[in-house]
Amino acid sequence: MSDEVLIKKLPNGLVLLGHPMGHVGSASLTIRLPIGCSDDPAGNEGAAAVGAEWWMRGAGARDTRQLNEALDVLGCCHSESAGTEYMTFGASMLALRLPEVMAVYGDIVLRPRLGEENFAACRDLTLQDLESLEDNPGHKANVMAHERYMPHPFGNPLYGSEQSLSALTAEDTRGHLLGRLSPHGTVMAVAGRIEWGEFCDLAERYFGDWTADAPPPRETGQAKGGFEHAQKDSAQTHICVAQKSVPACHPQFEAARVAVTILSGGMSSRLFTEVREKRGLVYHVSTSYSMVRDYAGLFTYAAMLPEKAQETLEVTVGELRRLGDGIEQDELDRAKTQLKSSIVMMGDSTSSRSMLLANNWHFLGRVKTMAEIKNEIDAVTSKDILAYLEAYPAKDFSGVVIGPEMPDMSAIQ
Amino acid sequence: MNFRQEKLANGLTIVAEINPDAASMGMGFFVRTGSRDEDASVAGVSHFLEHMVFKGTDTRGPLDINRELDNLGATYNASTSEENTFYYATVLPENQDRIVDLLCDILRPALRAEDFNMEKNVILDEIARYEDLPHFKTFEKTMATYFRDHPLGNSVLGTNESIGALTLEQMRGYFNRRYSPGNMVLAGAGNMDFDGFIEQVTEKCGSWQRFDVGRELSAAPGRTDTVVVTDTNTARQHIGAMSPAPSRQDEERYVAHIAATIIGGSTNSRLFYALVDPAIADMASMTFDGLDGTGAFLTYLSCDAERAGEVVDIFRRELKRFMDEGPTDNELIAARNQQAASATLRSEMPMGRLMRIGFDWTYVGKYIPVDEHVEKLLSVTKEQVLALVRRYDLLAMSMYALGPIEKL
Repeated sequence: MSDEVLIKKLPNGLVLLGHPMGHVGSASLTIRLPIGCSDDPAGNEGAAAVGAEWWMRGAGARDTRQLNEALDVLGCCHSESAGTEYMTFGASMLALRLPEVMAVYGDIVLRPRLGEENFAACRDLTLQDLESLEDNPGHKANVMAHERYMPHPFGNPLYGSEQSLSALTAEDTRGHLLGRLSPHGTVMAVAGRIEWGEFCDLAERYFGDWTADAPPPRETGQAKGGFEHAQKDSAQTHICVAQKSVPACHPQFEAARVAVTILSGGMSSRLFTEVREKRGLVYHVSTSYSMVRDYAGLFTYAAMLPEKAQETLEVTVGELRRLGDGIEQDELDRAKTQLKSSIVMMGDSTSSRSMLLANNWHFLGRVKTMAEIKNEIDAVTSKDILAYLEAYPAKDFSGVVIGPEMPDMSAIQ
Repeated sequence: MNFRQEKLANGLTIVAEINPDAASMGMGFFVRTGSRDEDASVAGVSHFLEHMVFKGTDTRGPLDINRELDNLGATYNASTSEENTFYYATVLPENQDRIVDLLCDILRPALRAEDFNMEKNVILDEIARYEDLPHFKTFEKTMATYFRDHPLGNSVLGTNESIGALTLEQMRGYFNRRYSPGNMVLAGAGNMDFDGFIEQVTEKCGSWQRFDVGRELSAAPGRTDTVVVTDTNTARQHIGAMSPAPSRQDEERYVAHIAATIIGGSTNSRLFYALVDPAIADMASMTFDGLDGTGAFLTYLSCDAERAGEVVDIFRRELKRFMDEGPTDNELIAARNQQAASATLRSEMPMGRLMRIGFDWTYVGKYIPVDEHVEKLLSVTKEQVLALVRRYDLLAMSMYALGPIEKL
């Protein structure tokens, strides 16, 4: 498979990224707009999430139903979501439908109706999403841990609060969303059976006339930090703890990725082996790496029967710390194989590939080829990982416990 | 795309869809066994056994399998449902021999007492995990309500009591009754060497003893009960509904699939416009669940507790209206194109291909190319959809509600 990454910047600032994949019949499009929950105005948290619902309620000449129908008739599988730093539109289709789908997305991105008549319902759906978190305590623990760990405004709650959502008006929300809508900071990535020249022509045709000033930069403040116990009469205790890590642009990023894989990359990983396989403490324990452009953290989540909370916490954090004591050669080799293999296997998925292109651009301001990523992983040594762990040791945790009782957290201080 | 098949003397069927351009190859054992094949004394054993399959064989210890899978850089997992247990892995093509060796070996597990006792803790924790997920519980209990007194109403996970009391001897007995090579299909997909595959599988699995395996296929009762479970610890009102539909073997499954998409697809469906678009409910989706010898339409609704009555009224009204009028031309075309494209996109990944050919063979005993699926979806007519929903009667349903409300 070709490893060629194509890049073009239109005069209006819009960035186009492409990866032609000859052996597939589909094309996938990822469009990232610079509108995330970290941009929500103070007191109006939840605006981006409401925006992601509202955005698909009609665009250009089409109302909600006509828009959904147009995409379905084209066989376009689509999704829309708001995240911390951007709003993402994903679309996968047979490649021959790409020109027509691009025309529809021209309307969606540039001419959303954001009509008053649909606003209250979209705000209400976001309020229901917020309430639904209560019925998924594992997810909620992870969300709350992010809110504590990430520096302001990256710790903004995606769905806001009951109060902030009630404070939103159609007019203010529309003004906020359209105020950040700009080709500057927007990325459009395509992967699959594409002709790059034709794709660029389509992008020029539907997005070339788009002009707007760059959205204002974000001002960064402090993280909340600390621990929180949300009392709940649940069957399990859900614990999520966060520790500092490095973002993708940092020179120690690949070492961090390999370290996380050794900890939690598969069923032979340290956490799975020590917490689940050898002690039977949990069904689920994992560490995941999470980042925005300039900040990153490792989030370790475990859920267990309440009577096992203390032991699980101590064994789990013990493993996070033990990593700094040394790494076996076979663990290192295994982690590298896992990472490289997953990257190659991604070559069968146009949607994963287009998302990776957009992520790379956002986090690095450029796109790595698969060969480059593989070489960087290969180059990581045990020494690199230990140096990373020395600089970013497993301490100064913040986090969240949801469950009947808070375990004794002094064990991990 | 190149289809190949082979059957070993002991009854193990091997099917594969080969694509030399793919970046990976996948393989999976589809065992025709699940919670519907359990009696109450071993409730949950199919799923527990699925965990034990990763715990070692005569030549591999409990941690060896995990380590080997990760050494191969494999993507792997297993899952258990009411009627299937599925073990799979995807690897780079150069690791084909090693993954075949490993997966074939683990399907003859050692089932050691020490591992069994340790893993029992994990299963009990998994049961607790789903206790905290009312959405998942609603699906399980809706099935239990609709299929009451039929084996399809059995819980996949079992209960604290049934798992607590389960013995290793019972699990061995279950394995020896269900894991016959004639009761499973081995499927492969992607960039693979089929001749080498067959040679190796014959060597590894050819000695497995065949025995007869049955399945209770009595007609499903299709209850029309309503069960309300009040739980004020649950924030949202969760409601499941189930009504009759064609089986997974029935040619009309394509029609049922399109009908469910028009009524309850995630966007652009009757339920979406009636309930989600105006924010009366935050979820309202219907899917077609084709099963062995029977089938069902399964709907999930989630809303504020105080609006539950209104949501159910609208839901029923929409079903009634659909049975009166059937789909419009636009709805039919949109649903057909959307589902046909999804089927094609899923099939681009070796994993998607693997699941399609494995489950098609398990249920209908033949290979169906993706183009044939697409053609059948695209040829569904308005008349067929209308006739089907009237004949199966969407309103002949059971409902299960979990959340703050006391009655529905």
